[in-house]
Amino acid sequence: MVSDMEIDPITFAVIKNGLDTIVDDMAYTMMRTARSPIVRDVLDYSATICDAQGRILAQAKTVALHLGAVPDAMTVILKEYDDDLDPGDVIILNDPYAGGMHLPDIFMFKPIFHEGNLQGFAVVIAHQSDVGGRVPGSNASDSTEIFQEGLRIPPLKLYAGGTPDRSLFALLRTNVRLPDMLLGDLAAQLATCNVGERAFTNLLAKYGVATMGGYFNALLDYGERLTRAAIREWPNGRYQFTDYIDDDGFDQGPIPIVCTIEVQDDHLVVDFEGSSPQVKGAINCTLSYTKSCTYLGIRCALGREVPNNAGIYRCIDITAPEGSILNPRMPSAVAARALTGYRVVDAVLGTLADIAPDRVMAAGEGGNTVICYGGYEGDSETPFILVDMINGAWGGRATKDGIEGVTNPSQNMSNMPVETLEARYPIRVEAYGLRENSCGPGEHRGGLGLVRQYRLLADEAVLQLRADRAKIPPYGLRGGGPAAPSRNILDPDGRAEDVPSKLTRNVRKGDVLRHEQAGGGGYGDPLVRDPELVAADVADEKISRQFAEEKFGVIFMPDSSEPDIDATAACRERSRS
Amino acid sequence: MDLLGGARIGVDIGGTFTDLVLSDVEGRTWFDKRASTPAQPEQAVLDGIVHLLDRAGLAPGDLIEVLHGTTVGSNTLLQKSGAVTGLITTKGFRDVLEIGRVRTPDMFDLQWDKPVPLVPRRLRREISERIAADGSIIEPLDEDGLIRTGGELVAQGVQSIAICFINSFRNPDHERRAEAVLREHFPDVAITASVSVLAEMREYERTSTVVVNAYVLPILQSYLQRLGDGLLDIGVSAPLLVSDSNGGLAAAQTAKDKPVFFISSGRSAGVVGAARLGRAAGALDIVVFDMGGTTASASLVQGGQISRANEYEFRAGISVPARFIKAGGYMMRVPTVDVAEVGSGGGSMAWIDDGGLLHVGPISSGADPGPACYGRGGDRPTVSDANVVLGYLPEQLAGGDLKLDVARARAVIERDLAGPLKLSVEEAAYGVREVANANMARAIRAVSVERGIDPRDFALAAFGGSGPAHACDLARSLDITKVMLPMMPGVFTALGMLTGDVERHFLTAMPGLLQDFKSNDLVVAVAALRAQAEAALGEENFTADQMNLAFSLELRFEGQDSELPILLPDDMNTVTLSWLHRSFLEAYEALYQYVAEGAVEVVNLRLLARGIRAGKLDFSKLVMTDGGEAIAPATQRKVYFGQEKAWFDTTVIDRRAFDGTGTGVGPMILESADSTIVVPPGGRITGDAMGNLQIDLSVEPG
Repeated sequence: MVSDMEIDPITFAVIKNGLDTIVDDMAYTMMRTARSPIVRDVLDYSATICDAQGRILAQAKTVALHLGAVPDAMTVILKEYDDDLDPGDVIILNDPYAGGMHLPDIFMFKPIFHEGNLQGFAVVIAHQSDVGGRVPGSNASDSTEIFQEGLRIPPLKLYAGGTPDRSLFALLRTNVRLPDMLLGDLAAQLATCNVGERAFTNLLAKYGVATMGGYFNALLDYGERLTRAAIREWPNGRYQFTDYIDDDGFDQGPIPIVCTIEVQDDHLVVDFEGSSPQVKGAINCTLSYTKSCTYLGIRCALGREVPNNAGIYRCIDITAPEGSILNPRMPSAVAARALTGYRVVDAVLGTLADIAPDRVMAAGEGGNTVICYGGYEGDSETPFILVDMINGAWGGRATKDGIEGVTNPSQNMSNMPVETLEARYPIRVEAYGLRENSCGPGEHRGGLGLVRQYRLLADEAVLQLRADRAKIPPYGLRGGGPAAPSRNILDPDGRAEDVPSKLTRNVRKGDVLRHEQAGGGGYGDPLVRDPELVAADVADEKISRQFAEEKFGVIFMPDSSEPDIDATAACRERSRS
Repeated sequence: MDLLGGARIGVDIGGTFTDLVLSDVEGRTWFDKRASTPAQPEQAVLDGIVHLLDRAGLAPGDLIEVLHGTTVGSNTLLQKSGAVTGLITTKGFRDVLEIGRVRTPDMFDLQWDKPVPLVPRRLRREISERIAADGSIIEPLDEDGLIRTGGELVAQGVQSIAICFINSFRNPDHERRAEAVLREHFPDVAITASVSVLAEMREYERTSTVVVNAYVLPILQSYLQRLGDGLLDIGVSAPLLVSDSNGGLAAAQTAKDKPVFFISSGRSAGVVGAARLGRAAGALDIVVFDMGGTTASASLVQGGQISRANEYEFRAGISVPARFIKAGGYMMRVPTVDVAEVGSGGGSMAWIDDGGLLHVGPISSGADPGPACYGRGGDRPTVSDANVVLGYLPEQLAGGDLKLDVARARAVIERDLAGPLKLSVEEAAYGVREVANANMARAIRAVSVERGIDPRDFALAAFGGSGPAHACDLARSLDITKVMLPMMPGVFTALGMLTGDVERHFLTAMPGLLQDFKSNDLVVAVAALRAQAEAALGEENFTADQMNLAFSLELRFEGQDSELPILLPDDMNTVTLSWLHRSFLEAYEALYQYVAEGAVEVVNLRLLARGIRAGKLDFSKLVMTDGGEAIAPATQRKVYFGQEKAWFDTTVIDRRAFDGTGTGVGPMILESADSTIVVPPGGRITGDAMGNLQIDLSVEPG
């Protein structure tokens, strides 16, 4: 019996480190070999090793949200290809209704064999720059059914026994706008799977299949044990929090996401009853992604030591009503589902704020803003598709301020350098910086949001925008205030037209778009914030004097950057009464 | 007396100790290890030099070179003690430095602290100017605004100003002009334009690099000035050369101008020394392993060549080997010896988490209070405590007066580890070693496996205070069968410096598709860089036959972000388009193990120019003079070896017994004034004429 195997704590630590190293190696290979800026610069991909039952053993420090989406995809693969997996097979899928998330995310699975038997899978998910459909980038928030969003790939073998499927390659090449980039990134995914396969087989060879199997179980048990230990610290009870998405780009909104968490000793039951029914726009979020986001929110509150493996899932049950925005029916459009995912994370963290207040933060920027420009360069027939993602700000925390210029915690993405962007696309970036006064006030203030401003240099292009938090700003916690809402402005130095946060429209040469991102919410009463910290923010022009006075009750000495302590105390007293 | 004759001294300042090695023309060496003097680092250097000259019976005028590795740069970053620095950017880009690349080093950690930028926002100013992506000027430089802005920064107390404009790597005119204008108006302020340090694409990397340069510049400049003056005061007028992050040496003036190239001064010199030693000993493929009190580092030497990287991050002194993470550090895009570092050293603490998993590090007991066995108030088990319990370290450290308290080490391991894990004290202590070794193996993997290189084909060269005590176990965990322990492992970095060469780096951006590439453009670019290099090395009095120029062209597939360097042969006539294409595809496949397709892009032409120092120390002619009294007779003690899970009666012997052609078989402990070497059962020891030891682990103990 494997489960009765004696676990040597030292070998255990060595195998755990070994698995972490394998997924690190995989992630590094992907970054070095990828062709598209969205993968190589922004790092929108993930790398995972699963065992033969599809259970996650380790995931690299890449897009965190992919962690929870792998199990459902693995279930589909194991069901579809039961008894039909051979060495050299490579399977891809992107269909959100068959284990995928949204169409641009192509999952690749390589079964790993050792001594003739299936022992595990290398899994790499990468955001492809385009998979066809009505809008360049295949990511539009205003599609209304999945058939508009691009090429749907059910689980199919891209390679069978090492031989490429020419039909499938031809089909892919014919249906996307940038076939070379897609095939280049698929090749990078394959190279990444191969690195994982090689390293994993080496580990199996070193310790033996039976021993490794025992340690895999031990590793998942360890994840479960740490998770249960953390949950046991939390008070039993039923907790609820509601956060909102502004709208879906069609109807007025707001769209509620209602999260209920029941703490039952060392187990959590999470339900989303009361959340909005599925919507017309493309922000519906399949159940697998809803679960992924929920795991992530809870995972953030557990503490750093918990390993990134499937043991965590054993302690958490998640349900969402069928036909809701969090569990939509075919053929709802889902391309911009990431936005809803961010709000699920916000709602989960908001709920946890009543359970483990020192483990969460006030709401961050609300998820990255996605800005796509698609068109043709000059007179040529060379298409370009810029997929740019703007990250981000964290909300204030129990003992410290939020952070500005930081990835949303569900991602761990990077940003595209302005110089790289300008060298590759007919677009000039006119500003990239912190947005003053955008933080939510609090004893620990939220981070500032970012500003990014684009000028189109090509004759025309399709601009597609996916943002939120323009109507419902990021929430504060424990007396902290909300952050400034986001804004999207066309021609900011001229007619300054405010445009909606979900937008697809044609733009012409010289048109300028300015995105002002929401900041992070504040944590705790802003009237007890140390006036020196407020003064430092004023000196740094992160906030204005007026903002300092209105939100924090801090009054400055005349013609000085020193706070007036007496006047501040008096002002704060007035504000309280 | 050799015409090039004269004595040379190598000095390496570390956190705890300052190591010095003196060599004379006949290759005789003397070493000194003394406590560092952090407030005035030059003090220990000068005292050490006077001391060694005295012991060697030399006069200050006999010294012809002083070679120096210093942690002044890295300490300045670590302690945030740099100059008050201002940054001037293109309008719209004030916050590039603070935003960075927005990643976090860990997932799911909502309590992360982002490092505070070296220049606060109030000292970051924008001015009007703009260069387009193609290098054309869209908006002219506002010189009046620049002078006004400079004046405001100076009024705020700024001592050093960095300049970084968008797309300046394509057209440096605005930055150069701004640099000149500010220098003219503010002669007392250090001014650095990004293109003077790094003319490469990517605004964050370039901004961060120039900011580190500006931040450290006044500090390193003043330190080197004080050291130079101090040397003159003790009568040493020999030139001072400083070791850079890439392991090369450069005139002190270069370090004063471009300190960002010298942040990892010292650490890299050890790698260079090990590579050179390997060549002398006929070992061309080595994993270099350096383990001190708080960190351990690994680097790879392949075919005698050191691996190098073009960027790294300074992150509280510890770099996580997951190299794709850009987060949480001070990024420097400068050539560096590719060293992976982890927080495992002799002082690293061992602890158990809530799930019952044993961890070692990254917190270290440091020098104060130190490991529990030091008996100076340390109350937490460390790697050194485990080593004492297992019998690896003696109760009395050789050459020192520190007695190690075995009972105390046992007690803390029993209480904190063995009890909770339900293991024996020996098993727990061995576990600490195993986990520490696993962490250190990650550093080695980062520089080998991560690049598709199998460490089993390499020898492990180990040095540093704790390196020789862990080398064999670490080698076994990686299936490495050959371990090399150099002479004087405890001061090896200072020794290695004596063997180094002067290095200068040059770069020309050559962006374009390979298929459109004209061989003649390459010939012209090579000639231009060659002229620059020859002029620069000529200034340091190198003759043409002492110059070694290595050109490489960096290529990648169109769309990629990471280049591969292709070393160009001396005979440029053989460099054709098809040769370049083929070489790139081969290198790519070798690295990533798949055949890729697509258009190939040219990125940069790089030149590494070396000035070969005449009369530098030659390992093969080295004569050891230190070590004190006669060789002590061998003794016996009990030592626990975990692979065998048993105590062994183990011979403890003076390592000098192996100089020449001495041989032996483990288990054995070899002691010397600067280190303790642990040889497990079955390890076959061979000494060589140079004073190195080779340990062969290929034969499993029977």
